[in-house]
Amino acid sequence: MLDIRDLATAYGNIEALKGVSLTAEAGKVTCLLGPNGAGKSTLMLSLSGILKPHRGSIRFQGEELLGKSASYIVSRGLALVPENRLVFPGLTVRENLLAGAYKRRDSAAITADIERFFERFPRLRERDHQLAGTLSGGEQQMLAVARALMSRPKMLLMDEPSVGLAPMIVAEIFQIIEQLHLEGTSILLVEQNVHMAMRVAQKFYLMERGSISFSGKATDLRDDHLIQRAYLGQRHAA
Amino acid sequence: MFEWIQTSIDGIVDGAIYALIGLGLSLSYSSLSRLNLAYGAIAMLAAYCGAWVAFQGEISMVLIALIVIGVAGLIGLYVEQLCFAKPLQVSGRIDNASVTADAGIDQRDLVALASSFAIWMQLEQLAINMLPRHMNAFPAFDADATVLLPLMGEQLILRLDRLTVAVLSIMLITVIHRLIKGSRVGLAWRAIAEHRMASHLMGISVDRFQTVIFILLSSLSGFTAFLILAIEGQVTAMFGMWMLLKGLTAAMLGGLGSVLGVMTGGLMLGLTEAWAQVFFGAIGREFAVYALLFLTLTLRSGLAARRKEQHFDRRVVPR
Amino acid sequence: MSDRVFGSSSAATGMDGAIAKAVRQSLCHLPGVDDAGASYLVNVLSDISILSLIALSSYVLLLSGRVSFGQQAYFGLGAYGSAVGTVLFGWSLPLALVFGIACGAFCAYFLALITRPLSGLYFAVASLAFAEMLRLALSSWHWQVDRGGGPVGPAGLEGFRSIRWLYENNVAPEVFLLICLALLGAVLIGQMLLERRRIGMSIRMIGYDEVLAAAQGLPVDRLRLFAATLSGGLAAIAGGLYAHRTTYVEASLFDPMLGVHALGYALLGGLGTALGPLLGVALDLGLLDASRLVDGWRMVIFGGLIAIILRVRPRGLLDESLVNSTQRRARHIVGRLRCLISPHRDLDAQSSRDAIVPGSIRKS
Repeated sequence: MLDIRDLATAYGNIEALKGVSLTAEAGKVTCLLGPNGAGKSTLMLSLSGILKPHRGSIRFQGEELLGKSASYIVSRGLALVPENRLVFPGLTVRENLLAGAYKRRDSAAITADIERFFERFPRLRERDHQLAGTLSGGEQQMLAVARALMSRPKMLLMDEPSVGLAPMIVAEIFQIIEQLHLEGTSILLVEQNVHMAMRVAQKFYLMERGSISFSGKATDLRDDHLIQRAYLGQRHAA
Repeated sequence: MFEWIQTSIDGIVDGAIYALIGLGLSLSYSSLSRLNLAYGAIAMLAAYCGAWVAFQGEISMVLIALIVIGVAGLIGLYVEQLCFAKPLQVSGRIDNASVTADAGIDQRDLVALASSFAIWMQLEQLAINMLPRHMNAFPAFDADATVLLPLMGEQLILRLDRLTVAVLSIMLITVIHRLIKGSRVGLAWRAIAEHRMASHLMGISVDRFQTVIFILLSSLSGFTAFLILAIEGQVTAMFGMWMLLKGLTAAMLGGLGSVLGVMTGGLMLGLTEAWAQVFFGAIGREFAVYALLFLTLTLRSGLAARRKEQHFDRRVVPR
Repeated sequence: MSDRVFGSSSAATGMDGAIAKAVRQSLCHLPGVDDAGASYLVNVLSDISILSLIALSSYVLLLSGRVSFGQQAYFGLGAYGSAVGTVLFGWSLPLALVFGIACGAFCAYFLALITRPLSGLYFAVASLAFAEMLRLALSSWHWQVDRGGGPVGPAGLEGFRSIRWLYENNVAPEVFLLICLALLGAVLIGQMLLERRRIGMSIRMIGYDEVLAAAQGLPVDRLRLFAATLSGGLAAIAGGLYAHRTTYVEASLFDPMLGVHALGYALLGGLGTALGPLLGVALDLGLLDASRLVDGWRMVIFGGLIAIILRVRPRGLLDESLVNSTQRRARHIVGRLRCLISPHRDLDAQSSRDAIVPGSIRKS
C-alpha cells in the first residue's frame, strides 16, 4: 500500500534520512523501531508532507506523493498522529475532532463519526466541550488518534504514541491500536516501546542513523541482541 | 454631569471605530503569529489612491469605497508575499510552536517584523509621492447631520456619520466574531493560530489560507480607512502611523488575537482619550493614551504569556 | 588630549585652525572634491557618524534579542541633557556629553528594568509608548533661565535654542567631525572588544535563544539590562553631538521614524559585527542621498531593499556566518604568510596544523 524507496531528507546540510526504503502493506501494522535520533520522526514528517525530501519516492496506493503538500497527502488518505500529540490546546475536544475532519464536507457523516468515537473513547465524551489543553496525556493521545481517524484515512501513521505516558495508559493505547488493526485499518507505527509494539505489529523495520538496517517479521525479533539494538543502536548494544 | 455623559458617549463612539481598526491588526496577528507593521501604510496608500481618483472628477462615494477596498487588498497581497509568505522552516524541531512560545521574538518573527516596517516606510513614501501635499481632500459624509437627544434638560449632540460608522463597526465585529467561533473557516483559523504544523496535518492549506485571510483583512482595513476618512473629509501624510498606533493600542489593550479583547480595548482607548482631553488638553490626551498602553503592557502581558505556557504544557524556564 | 581640542578659546584657536585646515586639504585630495565639496563632505561625514552611533545603539539591543522602537528617546534625552549642561550649567562639552549619556543610559536601564518580563513584541511596543510619553513630556517642559542675552533653555514645543557651545569655543566643523569620528571609533573598538570577551558572547547567546541561555546558567536579565544601558548611552552620545551641531533641539527629535531608521540600519547592515550598522547607514546616506535621481523614492528603495535582503539574509548583510568565514579565511592567510616568512620552521608541524583547518591547500 505504502512503498517508500530511497527516501532522503535533510535539515540544511545535515542529512537525517539517508535513503530509506520500506513497504507497509494494507491491513497490517508495520512497526518502525530504532534508537533516538535515528530519523524515525523525520520519516514520519516527510511522509505527511511537512518536510520535503530531496530524493526518493513515496508511492501510496500507486500514486507518487513525493513533493506534494501536506494538505494533498491528507486528502489522499494518509493521516499522521504526530509525536507529542499536538492537539489544539485552545480548542475543545469536539473542535479538535472537527478540525481533523476539515477536508470532509459530509457533515451528517462527520457527526456520526464523532458519535462513534465517543463510544470508542468514553472518557472523551465527558470532555466534549472541554479545552483540549486541559486533558491528561493519555486523553490527549486518544484525542489525537481520534482526530487523525476523522479524516477517514486509508492508512494511519503513528509517531511514538506511547511516549510520556504511564504504563497503564500505554496498555490502553495499544489496545486501541490492536482494535483498529482488527477493524482493518492499515497502520505504520513508530515506537520506542519494543515489547508492546511487537505485540501488535506483523512486520518491523529497524532504523539506525538515517537508514534501515534490519527488517523482518515480528517473531524474528525475539533475539535479545536485536532488541538491544532497537533501543540503543548498534554501537552501544553489547 | 451632563458633560460626563456627552464626553463618554463621544468616547464610546470613537472607541467602536478604534476597535474596528484594531480588529484587522489583531486578527492578522493571530493568523500569522507576527505583527504586520505595514497595516496602517497599506490602508493609507489605498486611501490615497481613492483620494487621487476622487480628485479627477465627480466620482460616486461608493465607487471610491470599492477602489479603496480593492486596492488595499492588492497591496495586502504584495506585503504578504514579500514579508510573511515564506513557509516556516521546520528545522529539526518537531513541535513547531517552539518551546519559547511567548518568551521572545523568534528570529523569523523579528525578521518579519523588520521587513514589514521596511515596507511600511516604502508604502508611505509611495503614497506621499502620489499626493505630495500634507493634507488632501477626501470624499466626505455629510458632517452637518447630527442627532440630538434631549437629556437632563440639555441636548446630547451626536454626529450622524460618526454614530453610523460606530454602529457599523460594532456590527462588523460581531459578525466576524460569530464567523470565527462558528464556521468551518473560523475553526481552521483558530487551529492555525493554535498550532501551525498540526493544522497542516489536518489537511488545511495553511499558506493559502493565510494569504487569503491577509488579503481580506487588508481589504477590511481599507474599508475602515475609507469610513474614517469620509468622516474627517481629508487625509494627511500622518494617517498611516495614526492608524497603526490606534489599532495597535486598541488590540493590545484587550489582548492581541482576541476579538472581544479588541472591542474592549477600543472602548478603553476611546474613553481614555475623551476624558483625558477634557482634563489635560491635547498633549495630555496623547500622553494618557500612551501611558495606558504602557501600563497595560507592563502589567498584563505577563499574564498573557503565562496563559500560553500552560496550554503548551511546557514550562518556560522559571525566573 | 581632550583639553587641547575642546579647551579655552585663546589657546585652542591656533591648533583648531590648523587641524581644520589639514582636514579640509586632505579631503580636497579626493577626486572631484573642491573646497565647497569638502565642506559638504564634512557635513555628510558628521551626519554619518552621528547616525552610526544611534544605529549602533539599536544594534547592541538587537544583539541581546530585543527590538526597540524607542531609541529616539535616548537620542533626545542625550540632546536635551547635554544642551542643558552647556547652556544652563555652563559646563564644557565633554562634561555635558557625559551628563547626557548618563540621562540616556539611566532611562534605558529603567525601561529595561520594568519591562523585564515582557516578550519581544510587547517590549517593542512598550518601547515606542515609552518614547512617545517622553516626547510629550519634554514638549511641555519649560525651563528658561536668563544668561546674559535673554532667556535660554527648553521652551516647550518651541524647543531649545541657542546651543552655541561649539561656536563660542571656536570649534570648526572639521574639528567637530574629528570629534565625532574619534568618539565613533572609540565606541566601535570598545564594542568589538566587548564582543570578543565572554560578556559580549553571552549577550549574543541571549539574543539567539534566551531560554537556552538561561538553561546554561547565564544571568539573562542582568545581561539584558547591561545591553540596554549601553544602548541608551550610545544613542545619547549621538543626541548630544547632534544638539551642539545644529544648535537647536526640539521634541520632534523624538520622532519614531528616527528609531525606526536606526533599527533598519542595524538590521540591514548586519548583526554579525559592530561594523554592520555602519554599513547600513552608509548605504542609506551615502548611496541614496548621493544620487539625486532617487530623491523622492529613497524610502521606496531603502524599504524594499531591507525587506528583500532580510528574506535572503535574516541577520543582515554582515551576518555572523560571513564574519566567521572571513575571520577563518584571514587566519588561514596569516598562517600561510607566517609559513612563507619563516621557512625554516618545522614544516611538518605546520602542515599537520593546516590539515586540521578545513579547506587547506592540498599541495602542501
